[in-house]
Amino acid sequence: MSDATQIRFRAATEESPATRWTLIALAFAGLAILVFAPLIAVFVEALADGAVEALRSLASPDARDAIRLTLTIAAISVPLNAIFGVAAAWFITKFDFRGKAFLITLIDLPFSVSPVVAGLCIVLMFGANSALGGWLVAQGYPIVFAMPGIILATMFVTFPFVARELIPVMIEQGRAEEEAALTLGASGWRVFWTVTLPNIRWALLYGVLLCNARAMGEFGAVAVVSGKIRGETATIPTTIEMLYQEYLSVAAFSLAAVLTLLALLTLLLKTLLELRHADQLAANHRH
Amino acid sequence: MHIEIDEISKAFGTTAALHPVSLSIPSGALVALLGPSGSGKTTLLRILGGLEFPTSGRVLFDGQDATGLTVQERRAGFVFQSYALFRHMTVFENIAYGLNARPRATRPTKAEIARRVTKLLELIQLPDIGARYPSQLSGGQRQRVALARALAIEPRMLLLDEPFGALDAKVRKELRQGLRDIHDTTGLTTVFVTHDQEEAMELADLVVVMSMGRIEQIGKPADIRARPATAFVKDFITA
Amino acid sequence: MGKPLIHRSPMPGLGLSMGITLTMLSLVVLLPIGALLLKGAHYGLAGIWETVNRERVWAALYLSFRLSLFAALFNLIFGVLLAWVLVRYRFPGRRILDAAVDLPFALPTAVAGISLTALYAPNGFFGQMAAEIGWKIAYTQWGIFIALVFVGLPFVTRTVQPVVEEIEREVEEASATLGASRLHTIRHVILPMLTPAALTGFALALARAVGEYGSVIFIAGNIPLLTEIAPLLIIIQLEEFNYDAAAAIGIAMLLISFAMLLVINLIQVWSRRRIGYV
Repeated sequence: MSDATQIRFRAATEESPATRWTLIALAFAGLAILVFAPLIAVFVEALADGAVEALRSLASPDARDAIRLTLTIAAISVPLNAIFGVAAAWFITKFDFRGKAFLITLIDLPFSVSPVVAGLCIVLMFGANSALGGWLVAQGYPIVFAMPGIILATMFVTFPFVARELIPVMIEQGRAEEEAALTLGASGWRVFWTVTLPNIRWALLYGVLLCNARAMGEFGAVAVVSGKIRGETATIPTTIEMLYQEYLSVAAFSLAAVLTLLALLTLLLKTLLELRHADQLAANHRH
Repeated sequence: MHIEIDEISKAFGTTAALHPVSLSIPSGALVALLGPSGSGKTTLLRILGGLEFPTSGRVLFDGQDATGLTVQERRAGFVFQSYALFRHMTVFENIAYGLNARPRATRPTKAEIARRVTKLLELIQLPDIGARYPSQLSGGQRQRVALARALAIEPRMLLLDEPFGALDAKVRKELRQGLRDIHDTTGLTTVFVTHDQEEAMELADLVVVMSMGRIEQIGKPADIRARPATAFVKDFITA
Repeated sequence: MGKPLIHRSPMPGLGLSMGITLTMLSLVVLLPIGALLLKGAHYGLAGIWETVNRERVWAALYLSFRLSLFAALFNLIFGVLLAWVLVRYRFPGRRILDAAVDLPFALPTAVAGISLTALYAPNGFFGQMAAEIGWKIAYTQWGIFIALVFVGLPFVTRTVQPVVEEIEREVEEASATLGASRLHTIRHVILPMLTPAALTGFALALARAVGEYGSVIFIAGNIPLLTEIAPLLIIIQLEEFNYDAAAAIGIAMLLISFAMLLVINLIQVWSRRRIGYV
């Protein structure tokens, strides 16, 4: 008798096994088509003519220049954005002032602006036919179609990453520890290095990681400001576009595979951080 | 309704939450399941409500085997420790929820639902809060709304899990009397879980003292006070 | 009277942190956006209207917005499903699935663009299958739709997931004890609780899709009036050194972004006021 009734026992908060497995299957199928297939396609296309050909195309001068430029851009723009993120999070969470919500909205603004519009803004501000841009060109410091413009465009699109990650974490941690350190006679910098930074380091790393992935992969904004001059202002993503349009599929996908590996590494590190240090990260990740 | 618990046991994996326990609850009684945390009292209450299923044994409602009834079929008014009010619904919508969830054939008309909700709001002495959201209520008000919501489905019994647990001492005393009154008005067989011996003794007709998944003693409050059956009961009620 | 602009605080570093914040914000974000708005002001509303009010521009804006809406709707449904499956069910491969949701955030858009094109082009893996039934995906609006679904995929899932985690089991149990079937509980208790977060995710996915460029241009075919997206028009104008027209379209897109930002904030205010949480 208990066997007969056992079959009906299902917790009130569960779906039937049939529903459950249907939903799981839909999740797998959807992600297989939308995410895993493009991921695999990158490597299949890169290796279409064999690994040797893929590696040879990565050793070409165009590819090497692009990789060098992208690394340089990231090496400059990511630390600058990290400094901004820490400063902004400090300013917003350690002080009370009017217009705080508005300031946060402004910091978030780049997330809702199209990268192409971002690039356009920078061209209009610093382009050779604007007042400021014209003057800078005359002084020998061109911004647009040169590295500073690419850095600015990259910083624009990645601007909120670090601040967005740090602000919720620092709000949650409050000010008590810093106040305690101050009463013990620590200087401002000492408080930052010995109290604040250790508390936010994982969140900071998390933000930097996402910022870096986006910085190295940014295409739309960079395409507008860079002029895509080979060997000079062509980053990895813009070089991928040029190679692809020249029907150099293996070369394009080999460079794409490099960025894909970077994306996978980023996801791996991100997952590890979430597993190990979930308590020190912002609870709600939107981006 | 008369509730019969017949050799019910419950294991979560390899740990036994309830050793076989038996208990007979007469119709219309107000019963307290009293014990420290981990004594199995909440598990027993959830088995009665159909939220948990026993590993072995039977539950009988008025002599009928109810062990296999789903939670929906049991029609037990259940008040949760956290009250579990629906935050996106007004108080009115919360109380009307069970009636609106009925299949069309047995669902009362809109006017009838409104009439019943109004009556229940009067019963819990909060006639004017129908339009508010749970976040706008005090703890005591939330508890009474949860009670009204459970009563709205015309339950066959009332089950309450630590109904006063989340309240401060003063409100707790007031609401004790409230529960007593509602029990006396409705005549429903009522079982509540508590770890507070004073609460159990003051409120219940029958107290069931539990420890480590076993029933230590069943009796009227005065009897348990006068003649504790085990050393545990003696300790617990004087603590 | 009134509140002081900045409250006195014993915390150090006010000047430095405020200085860095405001300087960099201005230099990187506000001044460039200001330059665009200034250009627009210079050009005048009439001028902007004249640029935007052309068949090709309208077609591009309408296309971008419409397909973004469809893609965001798809992501709304699939995102809620994913969030539910990832939080509530335990099954082999769950962690990989969970990590995979973020791939569209991490994968550069140009990479996604050429990869999706390779898959959906007539000689690609999925493209061939579709061609069998006479369905052309790449270089049509279907291709744009798929690219926009890809870039918007994580938003709804990631906003809804924490809310699903927070649903107290007792609330679902309460619904069941009141006689509600599982389906009734899902429709009337669970989905309404997820709605504010899901709408926020939907708006974020929509905003992202409207401005998306990199993942779309490869698969779109870029045929004027048919598969030409609004951001591409800006690039075309810039390549012809037609800065006024580029600025006019840019401002139109900026206004759409601001409107969506406003909607997102209103959803959150509404949700907080009504149920005390976001």
